[in-house]
Amino acid sequence: MLRGGVGLSLGLATVRERWTAFAGSFAALFLGAILVSATSTALLSAGPRLPDRLAGAQVLVTVPAVERPEGNFSPDRPWSPEQVVALQDRLAAIPGVERAVPDRSLYAQPVVDGVPVEDHRGHAWSSAALAPYRLVSGTEPRQAGQVALDRSLGRKPGTRVTVLTARGPAEYTVSGTVDGPGVYLSDGEAARLAGGVRLIGLLLAPGTDVAAVDSAARTAIGHDGRVFSGRARVAAEPLEDARIRWVGMQALTAMSILAASSAVFVTASAFAFGVAWRRQEFGLLRAVGATPRQVRASVYGEALAVGVVASAAGTALGAVLAPVLGDLLVALGFQPSGFTVRVRAWSLAGCFLVGIAVALLGAWSASRRAGRVSPLEALREAAADERPIPLSRKIAGGLLCVLGLAGAAVTATAGGNELVSFGLFTAAALICGLALLAPLIAPPVVRLATWPLGRLRGATGMIVRESALASVRRTASTAAPVLITVGFAVLVTGMTATTAASFDAARASVIRAESVVLPDGVAGLSDAAAGVGGAWSTLPTALYRVNGEAVPALGAERDHLLAAGLKPSQGSLEDFGGNNIVVKPWVAQQGWGLGQVVPVGFEDGCTVSLKVAAVVDDLPNSVLVPRDLVRAHDPSALAEEAFILGKAPDAVPGGLGTRIVAAEDYARVMSDEDDRLTWIFTVLLVAVSAGYTGVAIATTLMTAAAGRARDLVVLRLSGATAGQALRTVAVESVLVVVLGTLLGLAVAIPTLLGMRAGLAEQLSAPVPLVLPVPLILVVIGFCLLLAAGAAVFTARRAVRSQTDRSGD
Amino acid sequence: MCSGESGTWLEGMESKQSVELWSVRRTYRAAAREMRALDGVTTGFEAGTFTAVMGPSGSGKSTLLHCAAGLDRPTEGKVVIDGTDLGTLDETGLTLLRRERVGFVFQAFNLVSALTAEQNVFLPLRLAGKPVAPEEIRTALAEVGLADRGGHRPSRLSGGEQQRVAIARALITRPAVLFADEPTGALDTKTSRHVLRLLRDLVDRRRQTVIMVTHDPVAASYADRVLFLADGRIVDELVGRAGAEEVSARMTSLEARAC
Repeated sequence: MLRGGVGLSLGLATVRERWTAFAGSFAALFLGAILVSATSTALLSAGPRLPDRLAGAQVLVTVPAVERPEGNFSPDRPWSPEQVVALQDRLAAIPGVERAVPDRSLYAQPVVDGVPVEDHRGHAWSSAALAPYRLVSGTEPRQAGQVALDRSLGRKPGTRVTVLTARGPAEYTVSGTVDGPGVYLSDGEAARLAGGVRLIGLLLAPGTDVAAVDSAARTAIGHDGRVFSGRARVAAEPLEDARIRWVGMQALTAMSILAASSAVFVTASAFAFGVAWRRQEFGLLRAVGATPRQVRASVYGEALAVGVVASAAGTALGAVLAPVLGDLLVALGFQPSGFTVRVRAWSLAGCFLVGIAVALLGAWSASRRAGRVSPLEALREAAADERPIPLSRKIAGGLLCVLGLAGAAVTATAGGNELVSFGLFTAAALICGLALLAPLIAPPVVRLATWPLGRLRGATGMIVRESALASVRRTASTAAPVLITVGFAVLVTGMTATTAASFDAARASVIRAESVVLPDGVAGLSDAAAGVGGAWSTLPTALYRVNGEAVPALGAERDHLLAAGLKPSQGSLEDFGGNNIVVKPWVAQQGWGLGQVVPVGFEDGCTVSLKVAAVVDDLPNSVLVPRDLVRAHDPSALAEEAFILGKAPDAVPGGLGTRIVAAEDYARVMSDEDDRLTWIFTVLLVAVSAGYTGVAIATTLMTAAAGRARDLVVLRLSGATAGQALRTVAVESVLVVVLGTLLGLAVAIPTLLGMRAGLAEQLSAPVPLVLPVPLILVVIGFCLLLAAGAAVFTARRAVRSQTDRSGD
Repeated sequence: MCSGESGTWLEGMESKQSVELWSVRRTYRAAAREMRALDGVTTGFEAGTFTAVMGPSGSGKSTLLHCAAGLDRPTEGKVVIDGTDLGTLDETGLTLLRRERVGFVFQAFNLVSALTAEQNVFLPLRLAGKPVAPEEIRTALAEVGLADRGGHRPSRLSGGEQQRVAIARALITRPAVLFADEPTGALDTKTSRHVLRLLRDLVDRRRQTVIMVTHDPVAASYADRVLFLADGRIVDELVGRAGAEEVSARMTSLEARAC
């Protein structure tokens, strides 16, 4: 028989016999395995997808791509109108190509029964052939004012329909209905309303050799574009889909990592607790001849047994839940629509192994501690709680706290992207530091918090106070998961909300608006909507340098710019207008200096020479371009919001898809798509971490309560009623949650204040500290409920059974 | 008759000591004060004898047992078990020696609760990686009168039964010496007698060396020799089986002297 086998089988026997003691580790590992297997299955399924509406074109030709850094999804420069015509001719001339169809897309959102429909993508009628989508009834749109609609909208040919365009609402006649999504305008009108062309689809005659056309197309276009056929066509995935996928990937990766590391943390603390309560047993093993190595092996054996079962069950459930998660991700906007999850055996096998590794990793430090138990401990009466805090722990805790406070100070003066990383660093250092120092901090805080309890007439208060003080280690280790949950929740949500509020505050402070017009059920504000009540707005667009690199820009009006009181460091804002633009200093340094005339590509592919009229430090965007110039070259651009300087109009004209909010409420309205995604992501992170630490809280409190069964019996024998005994336990666990909450706030508040100061410095505007109080209260309530519930549930058994228990 | 025979055998093997203590001193530091638990103890425990160690609480009798058994290391002096000087062994060496040459029976918390009686008895051999025939385990349990209880977990055994399983486990490795720390401390009178008779029987039939710490004169009356400890020193000794009254009288005079 193998020697290591003894430890393993001993571990197995222990798990079989005392499965309740391992419930916490099991729950943590099970949860972790579900999350890791579901998210990794979803992650591996998330590849680029060819949109349905291009599926019928066997060869796709797209504009050349520029090198982009990770996470940058700025668009590629479109072809110029002349280039499109030339390429179309050249491609159509290839043998086997029936038609070369440029893909023209624009903003067009039909209003049905007074409500804008969800799908807002308009196309030229000829693009419908790329899917292909076919007419179900009526005729194709042949002239301006005609539109073909998705038949699911239920509009009959010949009826009138309102369509929101970038200019505003327009009346159209339905010419026909189509068996696919989208709004189709006549080619002529679409060419006027659409931006530039970035893709030409080739429709081939039946039986044509696709590879031959592919290579002929490459020769035909040379460096003017890229050619894709077969499965490679997924490269034509819309940038927006790629961006959503990327964001989803970030979210899923973060969640997997959080799940795995939380599982390690919870397993580690559960095992540490278990080892502390079983020192006597390990001492006995040592006394009858187990070497430290064999004792360690027995703890690993326990971890392995729990890990295998939890990981197998969790991985299996995760695989079942993965498709549900996929649908959820699409619904939340973390994956483009049409995303489907495929379960792969090898990835599940990987998850299973990861689960076991997590279990073993969690048991690592506990097993070392178990191995160091001396055989003499088998003879001690009970596990004593007065082991002093090791000096190394005090030093490490103190250092981390100092580092955390220093981090908060640095955060206050940091700028840009460093702000968030410093903030996170500060939080991590403070959380770890306080958790290490908890046994030191706990007594004074408990003494303070329970002072009124000691004055009460009942016995409960006194017992709670004294027992919490007597076993500091237990109090501290049960408060630690609460500290982490509350600290993390306050910090992460506060950080997100404060950052979002700061940018809005900065925008609002530049404009000094009283109210804000926001899109309501539409993709953005049309010109008509953005002009409601004399509001003014900016039009986001992209400019392209000669090398094809995109520069984000805003279309703005001179009067409003002057009214905003922006101070140029060079040049004058008076000259803004026509072909004259305003830039930020970093843009000026890259060849767009004051007075220079630069050729700039626009969204429609045209190149215009622009002159830099002024350089302004605190510009809301990199480049400001006169609004009408943007409108002329980017016919589908939509404003994200519009600001009303004076009094808001009493009534909003209907059918525009707008609503008006007061400027002070604006910060709290998560209207922005990115804000919404970030917020959902934040709440998900908080939920996952709260779920985990919830397991930790329940486990430690249950173990602690089980260990105190004898105390409770003594309490009962001294004349306490069952109710009084249980109340003692409940009040004590509430005390622990209060302690953890106080420490958690002590972590989060300095970090957030540091961040707020940093943001205010960076944006030179006062930034409010926004705390999502309801969410935080929910988290604290969750901790309270769980702690009291777990402790009372465990204690009830001890209190009930004390009558038929004799001695041991 | 039987004891006479045992006596001659003992005389012939006089130099055969299972455990020897040479000037063993053990001090503890507690709150900056030095506590002297053992203050220069020199004694030997002959093979095949049953020795009881008695003394008032705080006299150092438990420390003596821990040091003699290799559970604790003396501050000064030398402990020899079965010819091996414990001072020359590292932690693992000490563990291996305990596993092979020493058996333990404690007052309580004696068994691993997750394992059955049989598995508990089997444990030291499994830890040593030695193959065991199932009959051997059954015989060992039968010897302590628990032939039919092998499949039960400790929670389903009475205190006396648990103690007898612990004795079977301590003997499974055929140790040179069996240490017992208040083995009857948690048992009622009747069960105590049973356990003590079992220990006595082991000495008589198998020439097992037994060293037992106790505060119960009745328990001590089962031993061949009683050592009396006070303030970390051996202050008295009764050789030959003594009655409980005699042991009790010595204890009383010891405690009277201490006051």
